[in-house]
Amino acid sequence: MTDAIAAEWYKLRTACSTAWILAVVAAFVVLSALSSWYLAHYWDGLSPRRREEFDAPSADQPLSVALPVCAVVLGALTVTSEYATGMIGTSVAVLPRRRLYAAKALVAAGVMLTAAAAGTAVAVLAGRAIVGGRPVPVLGAPLADGVPHLLLTGPVAAAFTLIAFGLGAVLRSTAATITTMVAQMVVLPTLTGLLPSPYGERIWSALPEGLAEQIAAPPGVSAGPGVLSAPVAAAVLLVYVAVALGAGRLSFLRRDA
Amino acid sequence: MIEVRELTKRYGGTAAVDGLSFQVRPGTVTGFLGPNGAGKSTTMRILLGLAAATSGEALVNGGRYAELRRPMLEVGALLDASAVHGGRRAFDHLGWLARSNGIGRRRVAEVLERVGLAGAARRRVGGFSLGMRQRLGIAAALLGDPGVLLFDEPVNGLDPDGVRWIRELMRGLAAEGRTVLVSSHLMSEMELTADRLVIVGRGRLIADTSVRELAERFGRGVLVRSPRPAELTGVLSAAGGSVEDDAGGALTVAGLDVADIGERAAAHGIPLYEVRPRSASLEEAYMELTAGSAEFEAAIS
Repeated sequence: MTDAIAAEWYKLRTACSTAWILAVVAAFVVLSALSSWYLAHYWDGLSPRRREEFDAPSADQPLSVALPVCAVVLGALTVTSEYATGMIGTSVAVLPRRRLYAAKALVAAGVMLTAAAAGTAVAVLAGRAIVGGRPVPVLGAPLADGVPHLLLTGPVAAAFTLIAFGLGAVLRSTAATITTMVAQMVVLPTLTGLLPSPYGERIWSALPEGLAEQIAAPPGVSAGPGVLSAPVAAAVLLVYVAVALGAGRLSFLRRDA
Repeated sequence: MIEVRELTKRYGGTAAVDGLSFQVRPGTVTGFLGPNGAGKSTTMRILLGLAAATSGEALVNGGRYAELRRPMLEVGALLDASAVHGGRRAFDHLGWLARSNGIGRRRVAEVLERVGLAGAARRRVGGFSLGMRQRLGIAAALLGDPGVLLFDEPVNGLDPDGVRWIRELMRGLAAEGRTVLVSSHLMSEMELTADRLVIVGRGRLIADTSVRELAERFGRGVLVRSPRPAELTGVLSAAGGSVEDDAGGALTVAGLDVADIGERAAAHGIPLYEVRPRSASLEEAYMELTAGSAEFEAAIS
């Protein structure tokens, strides 16, 4: 298993797409810092009365919008790019399929978890440094308030990577996998708004994007229509991961490469 | 050692491989010949565990490929040279492969040197020519120093230098005692490279033979030239041969071998200018064997 993980790690770090995805994460960290800087200056210009009404988002808000997309692209490409080039034949020939599949999932999820957690931590800490002593809500709030969000952002991003990875192993197509994932993350949640209450909210709550917000919303983000508690939402997200990974594994082991 | 036993692979109603059996022994280059769509690639993919057989088995060194712990140390394969990630550098492509089977980085540099790509190790594979990709694929096959090697159409798209290089490489690998199976649809190429031939058509075995046997089997009698053809015809006919007059004064004799003809002619004092066995070119033999087994044939030929 060590060989398989080391080989997959070698592959992932020598793929251009990985560098691009990490560059996008880094760019959104910078964007988050810029947003904090803008908010701090905006705050300086507010009258005391308007300061009381001011509602600032978390420092990593721009990053938290980009992370799920990066996670999905990384997870999908880990498996679908090999089908696109045909390199999957070589991979399957040199490593047993079970180990190869597990190693791919582990490495992709590990990289995404690390990138998401590190990016979020940097964005939040940079935000605090930029805001300094100003009592801006959320940005200047005690760090402890944001700890659950800080701790959970990585695992949630990794979950998105794994769902896309499993789906990619079934569909074997980059375009199909990323389109399906993005549609389900961007289009479906919007459509639930058209459904009558309480069904719209319930369905929204059970979609991965809604689950992510219910598990670890950045502090200060206006609460969505979620109806699930954080632990329940986490359990539902894990079910998504398990189903996607299970279906992907079945397809990966049974079908001809 | 490769053993294929009663191997069948069906895709829906079509049998790509249909009850195929053959063996490939160490120390020889075995040509795996057949028209496009004859099932060569499918057989190789089953050998490597990439596709599952519908029935029958394909064994490498007496076992199934999937059971090998570090497959690259026993079997090296080049299936599709273009199946590489274009953004990766040549060294890194071999690097991850080496890492997957516990092979050291020094070996990567060694095989790059051996296939003549040492100077391109840091270049991205996407910019490689077809010939360079073939070399990279061969480097990957050699990485684990395996005793069994499979090459699927390795000379496709290569220039004459490249073709000769591959031919010599394969002969060299067989001379080192390795088992080498090379697929091709070009008889002319296999004639120069292979010792043995496994010929398939429409998924079935057509011939499992040596290059020499095949040439003999498609023998076309003995060509004889003499200044006294009429006399010689009489002598040879009396000895039980059937003699035909070729255009240009030569005779084609069937039923007698070169030694018989020489002795009869000498006994009667008939001079001979030329005596040699005529054989169809291997290309012709191959065309004859595989006639009707090509998957897509031109309607009018």
